[in-house]
Amino acid sequence: MGLHAAESALATEKEISDFLKSVEKRAFKRAVYAVRGDDAALDIVQDAMIKLTVSYSDRPAAELPMLFQRILSNATMDWFRREKVRSRVIQNLSDFEGSDDDGDFDLLESLQVMEDTFGTESAADAVARAQMLRLIESAVAELPGRQREAFLLRYWEEFDVAETAAVMGCSEGSVKTHCSRAVHALAKAMRDKGVDKP
Amino acid sequence: MKPRRQNFDDPALLGLQNRLAASMSGALSQSAHALPHEVIERLRFAREQSLVKARESRLALPAGLQVLGVSTSGTALLGSMPSWWQRALSVLPLVLLVAGLLAIQKFSAREQMMAAADVDAVLLTDQLPPAAYSDPGFGEYLRSPPP
Repeated sequence: MGLHAAESALATEKEISDFLKSVEKRAFKRAVYAVRGDDAALDIVQDAMIKLTVSYSDRPAAELPMLFQRILSNATMDWFRREKVRSRVIQNLSDFEGSDDDGDFDLLESLQVMEDTFGTESAADAVARAQMLRLIESAVAELPGRQREAFLLRYWEEFDVAETAAVMGCSEGSVKTHCSRAVHALAKAMRDKGVDKP
Repeated sequence: MKPRRQNFDDPALLGLQNRLAASMSGALSQSAHALPHEVIERLRFAREQSLVKARESRLALPAGLQVLGVSTSGTALLGSMPSWWQRALSVLPLVLLVAGLLAIQKFSAREQMMAAADVDAVLLTDQLPPAAYSDPGFGEYLRSPPP
């Protein structure tokens, strides 16, 4: 009887397909930010998809988002290992250590400026808007690996702090720290690039 | 001016941070939805391929065999759900081994007892009394070479 209950909760092929469809674009962009190449990112996403569908098809549909994000993180790390690009690996590993150096830049003020910039319709012009998007993407790509991962999981995938910590394999406190530093670093990067006026 | 220390629990700063992060995420979503057609097609192909592989993988498993779990490295652990008699059968070789060892031990002890009994029987039925073997003179006679 328990077995039947467990089976009924398993994700169907359609549910898995719909789930993948809903996350594939964000997954691709997340991989692009990490490896900075479309082809490599597509390979990583495909690896993650195959691993999810082949190895985890016996899981309930509700578990798929966290599983997939974790698989995607592992697939990205596997890609770095396979590539064996020493400098890149070293840079990536050093990224994971994070940095406390935020300088004397006024975070609160910058955040307010950034919110004004993105919270209004001032970028309605298509070209300016596209330029803005490129700047944000570039800033996200330049974030240290762990900060970027925490930021994207927490704010883009809309995981809560506990779920983000589970996917990243770290404490909730670390997630908060990474997220805060990521947002501040993005705000600073955007201001450095001249996006400081609505 | 002295730089302000970050306070991750400051509600005002957290609220601002969350709103800013949300607006940036919104921008990222716009970017993700404006992917080139070629990339969208390759993602669709990758998704369909992964589902096909999963289907093939399920079909490749022998009847009664299914994915029981997955290790941390992502490797599937295969097997079938064991019923009570399958569990009993899996213990059978161990039971047979223990029974065999006990039988060998019993047989070996019996052999030793039989050998000792044979020696005793020979000694007791001999014309020479067993006490003669404890006599030093008789022992010397036995050790001396025949004439």
